[in-house]
Amino acid sequence: MDIQDIISSGLLELYATGLASSEERAQVEAWAKQYPEVAAELKAMQLGLEDYAQANAVAPSVSVKDKLFATINAGTTFGNNNVTPEPAKVVGIQNYWKWAAAAAVILLIGSAAMNFIYFNKFNTASNNLKQAQEQMAVQSQQAKEIREDMNVVQSKFSLPVALNGLPATPDAAAKIFWMKNTGEVRIDASNLPDAPAGKQYQFWAIVDGVAVDGGLIITNDKGQKFRMQKMKSFGKAQAFAISLEKEGGNPTPTEVVSMGKI
Amino acid sequence: MFEVKKYSEEELVMQLQGRNQQAFSYLYDNYAGALNGVINRLVDDRELAEDILQEAFVKIWNNFSSYDTAKGRLFTWMINITRNLTIDTLRSKGYKKQQKISSDENSVSNYTDGSTVEKFDALGVRKKLVNLKPEQRVIIDLAYFNGYTQDEISKEMGIPLGTVKTRMRSAILELRKILE
Repeated sequence: MDIQDIISSGLLELYATGLASSEERAQVEAWAKQYPEVAAELKAMQLGLEDYAQANAVAPSVSVKDKLFATINAGTTFGNNNVTPEPAKVVGIQNYWKWAAAAAVILLIGSAAMNFIYFNKFNTASNNLKQAQEQMAVQSQQAKEIREDMNVVQSKFSLPVALNGLPATPDAAAKIFWMKNTGEVRIDASNLPDAPAGKQYQFWAIVDGVAVDGGLIITNDKGQKFRMQKMKSFGKAQAFAISLEKEGGNPTPTEVVSMGKI
Repeated sequence: MFEVKKYSEEELVMQLQGRNQQAFSYLYDNYAGALNGVINRLVDDRELAEDILQEAFVKIWNNFSSYDTAKGRLFTWMINITRNLTIDTLRSKGYKKQQKISSDENSVSNYTDGSTVEKFDALGVRKKLVNLKPEQRVIIDLAYFNGYTQDEISKEMGIPLGTVKTRMRSAILELRKILE
C-alpha cells in the first residue's frame, strides 16, 4: 500500500474525527509512525478539525473553572494516588478506639479494686459500730440496774437489816432492804457463798414467832447474784432469816444459816 | 493558527505530565470553549452541559498519564473523552441520540450568536466556513461533534455509505483548504 492509497483510504478522516475502531486506530498509528507524509496529513486533518471546533466554541460560565480547580485540588474522589490516605484514616480511628478501650478497662479494674477496698472498710466500720452499740446497750443496762439498786438503798422508806452468819456458817452474810411504805423486800446476796450442789438458799420472814416463806435466793447465777433480788412483800415482820434447803425450797426452814432482827 | 500560544503542544503535554496546574489552567482557557461547543451540540441544558464539561476536564487531569503523543493531537484525545462522556451521560439519563439532529443541519446560524468564544479569530473562520457546502458540513458535524458512525450518518441522512465516506473525505479536504 503506497502513501497515496493510505491517504485516500478514508481511514485518516475516521481517525481524525474519532470514529475509527480500535483496529483502525492501531493501523493508522502504525502508518503515521512509518510514513512522515501520513503523519503530516493526519496532523493537518486534526488541526483543521480542531480549528473548526474552535470556530464553534461556546464559552462556559466563569464558575466552571473555579469549580474544576476546587475539585482537582480537593482531589479525594478522583485519581489513583488519592486512594492511599483512606486506610491511614481508618488506622487512626482504630488506634483511637484501642486507647479508649484500654483506658476504659483500666478504669473498670481500678473501680472494681476501689469497690473491694471500700466495701471491706465499710464492713469493718459497720462491725465496729455494731459492737460499740452492743457495749453501749450493756453499759446502759448495767447503769440502769445500778440506778434502780441505788434508788432502793437511798430511798427514805427503806430500812436496812443486816443478816449475820450463825456460828456454824459465819460467812453467810446478807443485807435486807425493807420498804416500810409498801412492804417490798429486797435482798443483797452478794456476800452469800454459792450454795452447794443440789441445795438452794431460801428466805424467811419471822412474823409473830412463825417463819413465813419469802422466796428462793439466786446465788449461783452469774450477774444476778450481785443484784438486789426482790423477795415476797411483808406488811410486818420481827426478823428475817436465810436457810439452806433442797432445790425448790421447803415449807418450813430446816437449816438456818443467817439471821437478823429488825 | 489562531491562538497566541504560550506553550507549544509538546511543552504543554510535558507540563501536564508533570501535573503543572498552571499548564492545566492554560489548557482550560484555550480548549474549554471548543469542548463546551461540542457538548452543546448534544445537550440542550446549559447547566448539565457545564457539569459535563467540568467532569471532562477532571478526567483529562486525572487520566493525563494515559495520553500518548504518538496517538495524535492532544485536542483529538480531549474531544474523544468529552464526546464519549457526553454520550454516556445522556444515555444514562435516557436521552435519545436524535435529539438535536434537526438543529445540526443549520448549525451555522446556531453558532453565530454572542455566546461563542471570540478569543480566536472565530468570526473570520466562520466567514470562511460559509464556503463549505452544507452537505459536507453536516457530515463533519455529525461525525466530529455528535460521534455518529458512518453507518449512522448514512441512515440518518438517507444516503449510501460510500457517499458518506467520499463526502467526509472531501469535506475535511475542503475544511483544510478553507482554513489554510
